[in-house]
Amino acid sequence: MDRQDILQEPVKHIKVVGKLSVDELVQQFKNSGSFGAGRLSTACDIYERMIRDEDCTIFLALAGAVVPAGMRSLVADLIRERLVDVVVSTGANMVHDAIEALGGHHYKGHWLVDDHMLYKYHVYRIYDVFVPEEDFVKLDYRLAGIYDDIATENAGKALSSREFAWELGKRLDDKDSILRAAYETGVPLFLPAVRDSEFGFAYWLHASRKNVKHTLLVDAFKDLPELVALCKRSARNGMIVIGGGVPRNSVQSAALASKKGMDYAVIITMDRPETGGLSGSTLEETVSWGKVKSEADKVMVIGDAMVVFPMMVASVVERLSGDFKRVPNNEREKLQEIEESK
Amino acid sequence: MKQNTTEKKYCGNCGSHNAYEYPDKVFCGKRFGEDKNPIVETLWCCEDWNPASQECHCIREATKKQK
Repeated sequence: MDRQDILQEPVKHIKVVGKLSVDELVQQFKNSGSFGAGRLSTACDIYERMIRDEDCTIFLALAGAVVPAGMRSLVADLIRERLVDVVVSTGANMVHDAIEALGGHHYKGHWLVDDHMLYKYHVYRIYDVFVPEEDFVKLDYRLAGIYDDIATENAGKALSSREFAWELGKRLDDKDSILRAAYETGVPLFLPAVRDSEFGFAYWLHASRKNVKHTLLVDAFKDLPELVALCKRSARNGMIVIGGGVPRNSVQSAALASKKGMDYAVIITMDRPETGGLSGSTLEETVSWGKVKSEADKVMVIGDAMVVFPMMVASVVERLSGDFKRVPNNEREKLQEIEESK
Repeated sequence: MKQNTTEKKYCGNCGSHNAYEYPDKVFCGKRFGEDKNPIVETLWCCEDWNPASQECHCIREATKKQK
């Protein structure tokens, strides 16, 4: 490589003149191409390519408290608009989705607060978001009843976390709910660490009640064949990771188990790689496992997902405007099967 | 800050309660397990009262509201 090959494209300076749309600002970021601005604009380009690739299944991995912080409707809309095909989430994010579906709220708070005072008032803090304990308690109470209902309907049958999520969605009457949107659209929503959330506590409440006839059975191992099949049947796979943790690894591992590797990858995180933890591991590290292809279209955006992801979606949706309608991979296959059986 | 009402037996100062309609009603995990109505008044006293206090403001606020 010669020196002139290295110095190809000068940095163009960001111009903010007049009213800029989100995508216009992202295009300015692209002109800069530097630091977080460059990475965010690359992430938008990759997400747009994923959406326009008719043979790509888009996995969204959700970790971190993004739902209590205000990303609930955005995710539900992405599901309804079929701009994601599969969601893998922490149990906690769906707990907070269910809290709002049952009439509870999350409140704007502050990180500088007397936490012992909050404890005495039965208020929980998620950085600068407050949740009243009673919203959790009402959820537990309702869930215990819902679990009774699901357990009776499926007596003795173990459900995958995806089946469990749909059963919950079926029983939540709220169009803004992520669980409801997944159930209504048939978008698979997996909760691989479902036990490690209020869903687990509600199970304890449901199962420890005197005279309980059937207890709910959820087998997260049952998720694996489904996740792997989703990757396997798709010509190409892409993932958008918010945070990391169990959801990121569940998606990546499915790509590995299906011997495919991700073709597109966008990771939004603020974690660091030096600890060896998965959430901060670089995409290059992920390539070493075969979970992401070395030639994949990929970028890691180091930033707060609450800022980055809505911008990313707004920018890409702006580019898609008009009569663009994405036909998701699984629906197309179903249609094809119907067509072939004629 | 020690609550001056904790000497009295109230569901709102036992170890089995959680806020349900703050500060008037609490959810009693123990009663739920026994298949009894788990929603009780904060200033009520359960037959299985357990004195392990949660050191919360439930009683103080419920009493204040009652006045």
